[in-house]
Amino acid sequence: MRRVLILLWLWVAALVPSAAADIAVVVNPGVPVNDLSFAEMRKVLLGDRQFWSPNLKVTLLIRAPVARERDTVLKTVYQMTEAQFRQYWIGKVFRAEAAGGPRIIYSNEEATQMAASMPGSIAFVDAAQVPKGLKTLKIDGKLPGEAGYRLH
Amino acid sequence: MRRSLGWLCLGILAASGAVQAQTANTPVSAELVQTLLHRIDMLEKRVAELEGKGAPAPPPVAAAPPAFPVGHDHEVEMAGQSIPSGPLMKVAGFGDFNFSGTDQRGTRSGFNEGQFTLHTTSVLSPRVTVFGEVTLTARADAGATTGGAPAAPGFNAELERLLIRFDQSDYFKVSFGRYHTPINYWNTAYHHGQWLQTTVSRPEMTQFGGRFIPVHFVGGLVEGALPAGGLNLNYNVGLGNGRGPILSRGGDSGDSNNHKAWLVNLFSKPDRFFGLQAGGSAYRDEVNVGPRVFNEWITSGHVVWHKETPELIAEVANVNHTEVGRPGSFNSQAYYVQFAYRLPWAKQLWKPYYRWEYIHIPRTEPVFAGVPSLAGSLVGIRYDITSFAAIKMEYRNQRRPGLPRINGGFLQTSFTF
Repeated sequence: MRRVLILLWLWVAALVPSAAADIAVVVNPGVPVNDLSFAEMRKVLLGDRQFWSPNLKVTLLIRAPVARERDTVLKTVYQMTEAQFRQYWIGKVFRAEAAGGPRIIYSNEEATQMAASMPGSIAFVDAAQVPKGLKTLKIDGKLPGEAGYRLH
Repeated sequence: MRRSLGWLCLGILAASGAVQAQTANTPVSAELVQTLLHRIDMLEKRVAELEGKGAPAPPPVAAAPPAFPVGHDHEVEMAGQSIPSGPLMKVAGFGDFNFSGTDQRGTRSGFNEGQFTLHTTSVLSPRVTVFGEVTLTARADAGATTGGAPAAPGFNAELERLLIRFDQSDYFKVSFGRYHTPINYWNTAYHHGQWLQTTVSRPEMTQFGGRFIPVHFVGGLVEGALPAGGLNLNYNVGLGNGRGPILSRGGDSGDSNNHKAWLVNLFSKPDRFFGLQAGGSAYRDEVNVGPRVFNEWITSGHVVWHKETPELIAEVANVNHTEVGRPGSFNSQAYYVQFAYRLPWAKQLWKPYYRWEYIHIPRTEPVFAGVPSLAGSLVGIRYDITSFAAIKMEYRNQRRPGLPRINGGFLQTSFTF
């Protein structure tokens, strides 16, 4: 009976959405956007959308290799391997479609601080580490931890 | 230890103060200062960690005085040196080295140095960027001649692209300069970066030095991307000099006539099919062949599946020439289909590929006189040594009307640096 209860608890725990496992999309508070569709977020990440508004450019912040946040973004949004991701941005700049690639950051703390201070910036951080006061975007109308949230 | 870390922080604070003063009038500077301040915060925390928990924090950033005097608007004077504070230019390079051997009569197998390509990017302001591309190409006739002797082997320098672009928004960007003509997918997707393309060589229809499609375009371009309900419609509209007196070259120092070339290029990258790109373009010009004048219409289309499992690139183009004042017109067609697949094994480093290509040019076509038709295919494999270098091995089989079939083997290492 005890074993059954433990298994039941594990099953329920697996079903309950966990914000801690999700990756939050945080932006500078000055970004005039609260909700992005998944496709729009992909365009931002691909560098195909480079302006939030006519007067505010997007600054893309991506974690350095090996970080879980980076792996999730590459796998879920870019659908690329690490090598493909590097080649993509080298080609993007070479084609004169962008002046530079994403800025590399080394911790979630650095990501949230940069997002808080740098106009137009967008970063991807562990939802459990998002400090109060930072703007978290809804993706397809959902916040981290809600059922159907796709970045995890 | 504590003292040296303190000096380190002070030095960084002083440097940040100087940089802040140097570029205080530009929008880029605010971003740079924020980055530096953030770095200082991180270092301060690291210092506190190293010195033990509860150590007092360093003084606020704003209170730090600059360590060295700041010069006028455009210069920072430091220890007797004058450092210009112009735009920062980033440089990236591409190169390739080849070995080839064919059964074509009169050719010899051997190594070839390929191209040395430098690409520059310089941000003049958040909205204005300059892009450049310069190549050095090994040629048998690039060296100087003396006393009527044949040209010596050497390197041919070429300014492939140079453009300045103003980005108003994602929907509207305007630029001027020398481009790779955006009426062909391959021409603008890979430029001179051999490492970027899967295969050893470009398709014949868009070969550098070829005449079928004008590879270069000198003039102005308006471009942008519109959401269009998830279709993501991208456009290029251009006006410029057409082909130069030598048809394979652009009109760099002026057009060969008063009729400007124009082009329209449209393509879609739909949200629903991530990885798909499809589009078409039209190009209009007037070309001079000796005393004869021809209207040129080029129409083309492409479908591309960007992902590597599989990768698919297919292009088709029709070039129509009609002589001014005379009846009749000539239509030449070219197309290719390339298929590749990144194998899932061995760390996904291997990528076999195949391409079929075809060019048909009427025998009586006066503008493309001397350009033979072609039917050929190639098969090869690409191995990525690192994230920035690859080795490609390729076998080609080509047939041209009235000539023996040619078989060839090619080996290339290409890289970015």
